[in-house]
Amino acid sequence: MRRAAFLAGAGLCLLPWLALPVAADEAHLVRDASREAYSLPFAGLGEYELERFRRGRGLFRQAWEVAPARDEDSDGLGPLYNRLTCAGCHPGNGRGRAPQGPDERMQSMLVRLSVEGRDPHGGPLPHPVYGEQFNEEAIPGVPGEGRAAVEWTYSEVVLADGERVELRRPRLVFKELGYGPLGRFMHSMRVGPPVFGLGLLEAVPQATLEALAAEAKPDGVRGRVNRVWSVERGETVAGRFGLKANAPDLRQQIASAMLGDLGITTTLFPAQNCTPAQTACRAAPDGGQPELMNAQLGDLEFYFAHLAVPARRDADAPQVRQGEALFGALGCALCHRPALTTGAHERFPRLSKRRIEPYTDLLVHDMGEGLADGRPDYLAGGREWRTPPLWGLGLLERVNGHGELLHDGRARNVLEAVLWHGGEAQAARDRVIRLPRAEREALLAFLRSL
Amino acid sequence: MGVATPDVLPGRRRVLAALGGGALLCGLAPLARAQAAPSPVVVLTSYPEEMMSRFEAAFERAHPQYRLQLRWRRPSDALTDLLKPGQDGVDVYWAASPRTFERLKETKALQTLGIDLSGLPAKLGGTRISDVDGLFVATELAGYGYVYAPAELARLGVPVPQDWRDLADPRLAGRIALPDPSRVGFAPVLVDIVLQAYGWEAGWALWSEIAGLSTLIRSGGGRVAEEVGPGRAAIGLSIDFFVAAAIAGGAPLRFAYPLHGGINPAHVALTAGAPNPAGGRAFAAFLLSEEGQRLLAAEDIRKLPVRPSVYATLPAGYHDPFAAAAAGGYAYDNEAGRARLTLVATLFAQMFIQGEQGHERYVALWSRIHAAERAGRDLRQIRALLGTPPLSERAAADPALLALFRERFEGESAELERIEVGWQWEAVKAWGEAERRLAALGA
Ligand code: HEC
Ligand code: HEC
Repeated sequence: MRRAAFLAGAGLCLLPWLALPVAADEAHLVRDASREAYSLPFAGLGEYELERFRRGRGLFRQAWEVAPARDEDSDGLGPLYNRLTCAGCHPGNGRGRAPQGPDERMQSMLVRLSVEGRDPHGGPLPHPVYGEQFNEEAIPGVPGEGRAAVEWTYSEVVLADGERVELRRPRLVFKELGYGPLGRFMHSMRVGPPVFGLGLLEAVPQATLEALAAEAKPDGVRGRVNRVWSVERGETVAGRFGLKANAPDLRQQIASAMLGDLGITTTLFPAQNCTPAQTACRAAPDGGQPELMNAQLGDLEFYFAHLAVPARRDADAPQVRQGEALFGALGCALCHRPALTTGAHERFPRLSKRRIEPYTDLLVHDMGEGLADGRPDYLAGGREWRTPPLWGLGLLERVNGHGELLHDGRARNVLEAVLWHGGEAQAARDRVIRLPRAEREALLAFLRSL
Repeated sequence: MGVATPDVLPGRRRVLAALGGGALLCGLAPLARAQAAPSPVVVLTSYPEEMMSRFEAAFERAHPQYRLQLRWRRPSDALTDLLKPGQDGVDVYWAASPRTFERLKETKALQTLGIDLSGLPAKLGGTRISDVDGLFVATELAGYGYVYAPAELARLGVPVPQDWRDLADPRLAGRIALPDPSRVGFAPVLVDIVLQAYGWEAGWALWSEIAGLSTLIRSGGGRVAEEVGPGRAAIGLSIDFFVAAAIAGGAPLRFAYPLHGGINPAHVALTAGAPNPAGGRAFAAFLLSEEGQRLLAAEDIRKLPVRPSVYATLPAGYHDPFAAAAAGGYAYDNEAGRARLTLVATLFAQMFIQGEQGHERYVALWSRIHAAERAGRDLRQIRALLGTPPLSERAAADPALLALFRERFEGESAELERIEVGWQWEAVKAWGEAERRLAALGA
């Protein structure tokens, strides 16, 4: 049978990664299923490290102020921005969500913009007037860019056992544009993803990613390493953060979030986020140069690097085991890799040589037309997305009070997320549609145990 | 991929293609077209993200004709902004900083709120929570008290403290987390609650001992609860909501409200020059509505509503300060304390802290005192040396002195520095004398 043959293949390709020598301890795991489950540090951090972790956390949660303010460590917001805090889009270090209707604002979602073409490093070409990200908010005296609203259209899928699943798809509507018509452009709606365990993902060697991409896989599954510009290194390297693996490392990811989402400059991105057409923006006062000090950037990096991963729950329950086997058999594990091993992390040795279970390959995959945003980001095309890690998935409801998934938050639960899979994941998704109910329940039980 | 045009609805065929194999029934919801742009309501606040985003979402849902623009400022900067001509375009100030609201009122920076306040008491116990003239109105309350780890207290054999005197227990040495009143915003009121409850002299004497048993928390109110746990502090002095959020998140902690309690009200006010007074009033009314008040009980917020009728709908065990006040708690008078909070905090820092090394020295002194007392010595005189403030309650009420301290809230002054150095000198002399006498006693 096709499925049985498939299982054997998946087993083979995973084995080499299990064989490497790894740290025996599980300091990167936390046994906590509370609302804080995504927010706890690695076990065993020393007092100095905890102090750094707390400083990073403080920066992640603090609200930024319009310059000048008495506390120079927290001023420099904008001129254009989306939210006042980082945590706003990553609540509880978990997931944001899309607005539920056209009158709701984007509280934890953003819209990337670009026009046809490439920047000098092969990245997206920012919109000439609105820049690379639509910033709804602005400091006093500077016009905001307008309002981005979401309207939903609904459709339905019928599973083999007759169960009907409603799906919804967002449609973006711009209102109150602050700088005139947008003209021809591309856009990408993205909700804030979870931010724990990222140091471990950073520590996965680039060679591993390349080997994963090069492996022959069944089902038409490919996967490739995005290659993106590293500002600090001045060269093109493997991308791993961002929903299209469009950022090379944590530092640059943080610095670009600082600039793009809050309007805070760093040594990596020292210029304010104003386009030439945004004159009031260009004339606005800044909060020092840069607004985020290098030491603060380092604290934030330390924080993300040492946010631990929730340990699995109920992993040995028979239904969960059955679901785990199905996860492999259906072809999910081809992209959502159950296990990887980290290499040596130069600055944060606690991340080194660990066997981790992130359920991602950090590669970008063609996910079909249904999920496409049509906006290329370096090598990742308009239909491609990075396989998101699935660790901690079962605690999403507890932490965030909702179970919404996928890059734009369209899926209201895991089953909807799977039903949206297309492209390279079409075969896996079709198998799920055909599953008998009990097996589908087992698959979902397994995903809840993550 | 081609260039996307977002205002064009994706065709039915495209959705079908995307969904591929499964049988598909497609129904498109009708599109709501954009109405007139909502008018902005600019709210200046110093609340954390969880609070801002919950109220933002709920207010805009309830009043789609308005769009909230939240701006964040620490109270001292907020004051500067709101005293500027034009008040930076702010409609509403919403924060937990009674002193800032007082200053705004004095400088005529506010206008009457003018919304229906029925069902909202203006007083709680000894404290007037809303302004007599209706210029600022309480929106929520925070209660002071003790966060503790039941297992840690049990290990030390110390019962859960019911009131402040219970904290002066030598078995708690090094295990009380105390927010430094000169650095942590909510802590000065803690100091003053004790001074009002027991009187100036007895109050300072009590603080002298508690400070000698404590570990200092120098930043961030939330840090107190974090310090409480195995191998760290057994108890900490805090505000309820920091702790309630940690408990809701799963921390093995409890919170106790002392018999002599205190509350810190947050307020809302409409600026004198509000560009959108109707919108500002709508926001204030929303905060005070049943719906707005119930949001305060969210797991990640946990503030105390000011609308008593709301408590009936909250989870069992939710602290009801109105009920506690009716039973005699909350005699603390915030207004009486407000004028001297900065003075009291400064005095505390000079008498018992004097920097990290200073505090270590002070703690060592108390551990010697407790050891000698365990050996049967009578050290009342040495205790008096450490616990007597360099000025009387009356001297501390001198309007000229208080005026100096009030300005400190807005900036430093040389005059103030002289006074502070004087207190520091007094304290250093007292510490030295206590050490000399202990040594003479062989303690
Ligand atoms: C307006 C919402 C928003 C705000 C505010 C925001 N983020 Fe994000 N964050 C996102 C989105 C959306 C992504 C995915 C970005 C992409 O695909 O390029 C993301 C991605 C990230 C990632 C990478 C996660 C991953 O799995 O690859 C990190 C780390 C991060 N953000 C940190 C921050 C920091 C630090 C701040 C504050 C400076 C911040 N974010 C503010 C929405 C936000
Ligand atoms: C070809 C690679 C691939 C395969 C095979 C695949 N996935 Fe995915 N999966 C992805 C990508 C890429 C996304 C993100 C898509 C997006 O956000 O638009 C994703 C998203 C998800 C999500 C939502 C996660 C989140 O954080 O939003 C879940 C749950 C999920 N997949 C489960 C599965 C299951 C179960 C299977 C097997 C039936 C499966 N996937 C097969 C690549 C794959």
